[in-house]
Amino acid sequence: MEKIKITVNGKEIFGKSGDTVLNIAAENGIEIPNLCHSKELKSFGACGICLAEEEGNKKLIRTCSAEAYDGMIINTETERVKRARSAALELIMSDHEGDCVGPCSLNCPAHTDVQGYLKKIAEGKDSEAVEIIKKKIPIPASIGRICPHPCEANCRRRLVEEPLSIAYLKAFAADKDLESKSPFVPEIEKESGKKVAIIGGGPAGLAAAYRLRIKGHSVTVFDAMPEMGGMLRYGIPEYRLPKAVLKKETDAIEKLGIVFKNNVKIGENEDFENIRKEFDAVLIAIGAWKDAKIGCAGEELDGVFSGIDFLREVNTGKIPEIGKKVAVVGGGNTAMDACRTALRCGAEEVYVIYRRTRAEAPAEDSEIEEAAEEGVTFKFLTNPDEIIGEDGKVKAVKLQVMELGEADSSGRKKPMPVKGKFETVEVDSVITAIGQKCDAKGFGSVELTQKGTVLMNEQNGATNLEGVFAAGDAVNKGASIAIDAVAEGNLAAKAIEAYLCGMPFEAFEHAYSKREVSEKDYFEIVKKPREKMSVKPAGERKKTFDEVINGFSEAQARNEAKRCLECGCHDFGECKLIRYADENRINTGKFKGVKHNIFTERKLISIERDQGKCMLCGLCVRVCEEKIGKGLLGFRGRGFKTAIKPEFEHGFEIEGCANCLECANICPTGALKIIK
Amino acid sequence: MRIIIGEGSCGIAAGALKVHKALEKAAEGKNIRIGITGCVGMCFLEPIVDIYDEEKLVKRLVKVSENDAQRIVCAAEKNDYSDIDDLVISKEDEEFLSLQTRIALRNCGITDPTAIDDYQKRGGYKALEKALSMSPEEVIEEIKASGLAGRGGAGFPTWYKWSAARKSESKTKYLICNADEGDPGAFMDRAVIESDPHALIEGMLIGAYAIGAAEMIVYVRAEYPLAIKRLEKAIKDAKEAGFIGENILESGFSCKMRIKSGAGAFVCGEETALIESLEGKRGMPRLKPPFPAQSGFKDEPSNINNVETFANVAWIIANGGKEFSKLGTENSKGTKVFALTGKVRKSGLVEVPMGMTLRDVIYKIGGGIKNGKKFKAVQLGGPSGGCIPEELLDTVIDYKALSETGAIMGSGGMVIMDEDTCMVGMSKFFLDFTAEESCGKCVHCRIGTKRMQEILTRMVNGEGREDDVLLLEELCKAIKDGALCGLGQTAPNPVLTTLKYFREEYDEHIFEHRCRAKECTELLTYSIDAEKCRGCTLCAKKCPAKAIEGEVKKPHIIDKEKCIRCGACSKVCRFGAVVVE
Repeated sequence: MEKIKITVNGKEIFGKSGDTVLNIAAENGIEIPNLCHSKELKSFGACGICLAEEEGNKKLIRTCSAEAYDGMIINTETERVKRARSAALELIMSDHEGDCVGPCSLNCPAHTDVQGYLKKIAEGKDSEAVEIIKKKIPIPASIGRICPHPCEANCRRRLVEEPLSIAYLKAFAADKDLESKSPFVPEIEKESGKKVAIIGGGPAGLAAAYRLRIKGHSVTVFDAMPEMGGMLRYGIPEYRLPKAVLKKETDAIEKLGIVFKNNVKIGENEDFENIRKEFDAVLIAIGAWKDAKIGCAGEELDGVFSGIDFLREVNTGKIPEIGKKVAVVGGGNTAMDACRTALRCGAEEVYVIYRRTRAEAPAEDSEIEEAAEEGVTFKFLTNPDEIIGEDGKVKAVKLQVMELGEADSSGRKKPMPVKGKFETVEVDSVITAIGQKCDAKGFGSVELTQKGTVLMNEQNGATNLEGVFAAGDAVNKGASIAIDAVAEGNLAAKAIEAYLCGMPFEAFEHAYSKREVSEKDYFEIVKKPREKMSVKPAGERKKTFDEVINGFSEAQARNEAKRCLECGCHDFGECKLIRYADENRINTGKFKGVKHNIFTERKLISIERDQGKCMLCGLCVRVCEEKIGKGLLGFRGRGFKTAIKPEFEHGFEIEGCANCLECANICPTGALKIIK
Repeated sequence: MRIIIGEGSCGIAAGALKVHKALEKAAEGKNIRIGITGCVGMCFLEPIVDIYDEEKLVKRLVKVSENDAQRIVCAAEKNDYSDIDDLVISKEDEEFLSLQTRIALRNCGITDPTAIDDYQKRGGYKALEKALSMSPEEVIEEIKASGLAGRGGAGFPTWYKWSAARKSESKTKYLICNADEGDPGAFMDRAVIESDPHALIEGMLIGAYAIGAAEMIVYVRAEYPLAIKRLEKAIKDAKEAGFIGENILESGFSCKMRIKSGAGAFVCGEETALIESLEGKRGMPRLKPPFPAQSGFKDEPSNINNVETFANVAWIIANGGKEFSKLGTENSKGTKVFALTGKVRKSGLVEVPMGMTLRDVIYKIGGGIKNGKKFKAVQLGGPSGGCIPEELLDTVIDYKALSETGAIMGSGGMVIMDEDTCMVGMSKFFLDFTAEESCGKCVHCRIGTKRMQEILTRMVNGEGREDDVLLLEELCKAIKDGALCGLGQTAPNPVLTTLKYFREEYDEHIFEHRCRAKECTELLTYSIDAEKCRGCTLCAKKCPAKAIEGEVKKPHIIDKEKCIRCGACSKVCRFGAVVVE
């Protein structure tokens, strides 16, 4: 064979005459995307992904079969080729149905690989689980305790009986890892020499710091408070998240070589522009530490506390003078934290004033329940009309009775005052917890939103200032749950990483396939109820700041993790289809239409075939025929209904299969799954 | 005297066998011979009976029924035809044939397809004799001089394929005839095999000699039983006459021949899928390269041409390539056979020289549009082709000129559409066909045509979306670029051409929920004109959905909610009172 030279995407490469363009490119380290090709088998040409333009040829060629010749000029990245390739991928995805990743992970703002770590926990490999979790969440013991777990809301196990206790299992694994002799420590890449300043050591800042440090950058975290953790440290009460747990996790982050600088407040004892000068990139993750005002008379009285201030005081070891009777205004988690903390500070009568009903209250159900158990009185459908004082001190609160009207823009029913209907509750103090605001003073000319938060481009985490990024409660829509802040911290880290390397960055939505399911799909699954988390009795716990929950026993945790249905595709990590779909930024919904009948069948000895994931590349058919010499599989039907069917469909298992598993191994998607 | 009955499939379908039987009975004991021939191509006049005096055609009788047998035999016996004047073909209908130039169909409707000597009487197998006296290269040169191009649709120069196969070195080369005629509305190949099988055999033998093939295979669709039967007989006769087999005509050239009947998948008309099917595998196209000329059937060099191409070969060798190339245009030589169907007055097989305008084929030969309706478009090339509107009817039959319109020459399907044809519905018809017939191998064709079909279905059901036309265009482009074989790559053509020439009809379906041809029933509303309605109650009785109410002798009313738009009321109303909008 003679040596020939061809040009692929402007690069001259060499190969043997008679070989295909695709093979020569691959040998020279150039990957031309393909889904139905295997070097071991004859070219087939089904997928239409390996298309390229050949100079002097009006038609696009299939590089898997096109024989290369000396002087051939090939381009795989022209607009026409990219469009054709995307169209092929979009067509395939329009008839591809599986869960690329589990619905739990999809609903997690940080897209944590829930299925992956649950499997490790089920196997008793906690540190390995933590390794998976920390790819997205660097403080799992803390997040696991306090997260409102959107993952669980999407858990398919709810179609069987109850969702998995995903959040707490995360904390369980992280606790075990922290207790172990050698807790998981991520590998740090070679020092890049780049410096990043992170302003704010809360969940967003810590997530970004962790990720950027792993990439080898030099990271300094500035925080206004004496300790790191942000709202986790100063907002969440001890009984929900013991500070010792958080400390262990922030210490572990610090140990990666990140510099923590506490008690630094930008604009007061540090200048923002100086930081910008000193560092290659800056992340603003200062959180939202100001309370929103109620706006009624008497708010200035002695004995009116802001929820955030109150919790911060308590979390720094002080007990504010709140008296015996306390009214907490608000229906969110901060209100719950405040009322339960008030009890622990010695209050005897605690009221929660909320203008809607329990159904609309944004606080977690379990929080409301536990607060009620501890003796908190809920006054739903009331709103403070006036805080009545005596000698400048709170004496009572006058409540306007409310009723629910039409649904507002948020979809919640709008509370309306019932004319002339009031009641008065005598209290010693009022704690307001109706929302958080960001105080973004001291950041020079950084652009703010109307709400006063930092304006951030959600595609790339950037602010209007060069090299300045923002994340967490301090940006755009404002305060949200901690895992949202972690997710934004991760995104910012990616954006900063790209910025430091001089690469463009844009967040994108994965082209994930999602399966529609209902209870019917799970009728065969044996019911296994969710493990019950034991909590300390209400009477006992309300007197102390000790953690309310007792945690899972080892057996409970393993059992609970084993309940996972493993909805996500087993082949996700190796699936070529989703990789190309993402790389080509395809529009999965473009060619939406009817799909194949979707079912799984098991006719080969230890292989389960998922029709929804099969894209008819024919690799399994061909490997069985050409390599193994058996030819047990084949195509059947015509047109859209064409399917790969075992040739002999009469028996349960196909006769003659030697269980060589070659078909499953060569499958480019997760259509063939080896059952162990 | 001889009485000859046209017994192609279409003639038989029209009752030719009954006529044959009746004529035989009537001619019993008389000095009249009854014989058969194939199809002369005038489908609209079948059954056709010709009366010959020796070799001279005396009278051509059309639309003959078995009841006419007695008087036909009497007339022939007396050589006086005044009594059967009503059966004699009209002057105007004779033009259907007289305006044609017949090479591929030269014997169709003239010779007896079951009699090899009949074929030989008209010079049959003389061309083979001549070819065998030439070198294979000289034969290829002659074909090159003729300018003959593949009549199956692609129009690839025949000599080039032959030459490539000639140059491929192997002891066992194959010459394959593609008779898997699958386009809806096309029946040229069937007619040739049924009517003149020896012309095919002789053409193939010359091709086999030219490329050095050891075996000839005809891949015929199993739905053509008569063609298979006649071809089997012809092969047998040709073998016995020494034209097929060892040392043919003592030239030293040997070649076998056989028939393979295919199960009727449209895609098997694609040459590489045909080879797969010949090998006993599922009919799915192979990647090219390698081309069949290098590696085809059983991985041996193979040459594939279609029936019509081969049917021209013997004529070219006998008369010279130059003579053939005198016919036609600069780009396209010789003649082309079309199956003229649809809303045309005279439907049938038409062979015309390249360069004739579409208008002449449709109006002069085809006699224009049926029932005085207005011409709308002509679809050429079946599901792979495209439609050509009125304003382009002066386009000449020429590979290049036709493809410039967006249509293709194709294998010869020529479907005429009138004003009552919905172009969106027409596109859907072809897409339904290609989507159904896609072999399922490549993504673009399998899923792409399905998506196109879904969009077109939405449109005809009045559920078209604002951006559907753009989506269709995008799909068309993607499929043309990405499909593996010709079937897929050309599948968007009907949509592309209707979008090009009749885009307003798409827009009307989407935005106005209106079908101007009133073919898309989901878009129609039926109502009764109270002034015209006499209250005869007939429509109410016929309505299958019980949607019509009214008292006798009073105007009736259609309940639009109940109406299923079947049109039964409209058909039955004698007063034209049903208004369809």
